[in-house]
Amino acid sequence: MFRELRKKSFQKFKNTETRIHELNYLFWECTTQCNMSCLHCGSDCSQNNSFKDMPLTDFLSALDTIKAKPENFTVVITGGEPLLRNDLEICGREIRKHGARWGIVSNGYLYNMERHISLLNSGLGALTISLDGLEENHNWLRNSSDSFAKVDTALSLAAGSSRLNFDIVTCVNKRNITELPSIYSYLIKKRVKAWRLFTISPIGRAKNNPDLILGNFQFKEMLDFISHKRKEKSIDIKFSCEGYVGKYELKVRDSYFFCRAGINIGSVLVDGSISACPNIDRSFSQGNIYKDNFSEIWEKKYQLFRDRSWTKAGLCERCSEYQYCQGNGLHNRVNMKGDLLICHNNKIIKALEN
Amino acid sequence: MKQSWRKKILGGLSLTTALFIFQACYGTPQDMGLDIFIEGQVKSEKTNKPVKGIKVSVEDKLQYQYTDESGKFSFYTETATSYKIKFEDIDSDQNGIFVEKDTLLTKIDKTIYLNIELEEK
Repeated sequence: MFRELRKKSFQKFKNTETRIHELNYLFWECTTQCNMSCLHCGSDCSQNNSFKDMPLTDFLSALDTIKAKPENFTVVITGGEPLLRNDLEICGREIRKHGARWGIVSNGYLYNMERHISLLNSGLGALTISLDGLEENHNWLRNSSDSFAKVDTALSLAAGSSRLNFDIVTCVNKRNITELPSIYSYLIKKRVKAWRLFTISPIGRAKNNPDLILGNFQFKEMLDFISHKRKEKSIDIKFSCEGYVGKYELKVRDSYFFCRAGINIGSVLVDGSISACPNIDRSFSQGNIYKDNFSEIWEKKYQLFRDRSWTKAGLCERCSEYQYCQGNGLHNRVNMKGDLLICHNNKIIKALEN
Repeated sequence: MKQSWRKKILGGLSLTTALFIFQACYGTPQDMGLDIFIEGQVKSEKTNKPVKGIKVSVEDKLQYQYTDESGKFSFYTETATSYKIKFEDIDSDQNGIFVEKDTLLTKIDKTIYLNIELEEK
């Protein structure tokens, strides 16, 4: 009964959050240049790219349209690889001057001592670094022979800073799933406090590489691993917010699934597009900062993110758990016709059937 | 305001207050804002002119910065109850030779401005 009350309260909480839709998490895709060519890149970024980096002043103009920023308002600078921007520290300082906090998502390759200090000096407060396995598997997925050595340095620096709210993300695939216990031990040894596990969605470059996508049983195995390790409390390990996981909800995360894209999360993409999480299909963009007022778009548009009834089609149409899932994470959609790239809960159900 | 209270009550009932601080897929955790901003200018006590190249650091922290042409410096650093800020001339006689100085800060605001005068050797 208590569990039901909790679940129902959460549904109402979600509805209230959706109605208020307070923006407190803004992605800035400052560049799509990247120093790597990862096999699983959802953005399909590379070293040669047709988009120019977005000038800081253009982003600040959009940021300034948000008049009353909530206290915890964070700009998350992403890419491509944000550390390729030589003016990243200037960007960070200006973002602070304009009333927001900031963080970056990085592959860690260029994160050395000098950069660590200059970023902290510039008010960096949050950092996520990708680690996709121990040396062999990380280098394989990152398509780079020395990327593990570089990320090892990066995570030592980041874990040593009590200022940074820092975590490691790992894209779990068919090759690294068996070494999750070894990665776990490695991260504890490195004094990393938080670890988030993802699966790889069949989007971007990963679309054509079946080795990257976990099978049903492997997916369940990963959730069992997370659930088991959470009980040890040695590290804050969790499954990402990428999808609804039915009976594993609360076993693998602190709270129930809630895709906040377009509800609390917005983005300014490299070409000026206004959207939600950068991994969401670009056709879902709501406007462009070069012709629209960002804040007005946030307040007046984003209907497809805030009323998800359109997702109750296809596989979701008759699903008994739709009320809790509401169509899964929106990055699992490439159109509004009801096609769903992945149903995480379905993978669990199928694994349990076999 | 009313809606905000409703949100807090429902969040509390579902034991998900942690959700008020969340992170997006492929995004960072949210920054808790646990830092302050320290800025200032370093001048020569004797000439009252700005001094370039002085290393400004916070004791027990990795962070440091060098003063610029105008003797100015600025950086964010982690929130603490007090700070010992160190000013060191480490570039030999390139911009003059100055005696090292420590400043202890015990009254901490979100922004601190320091006017520092260094004694010439």
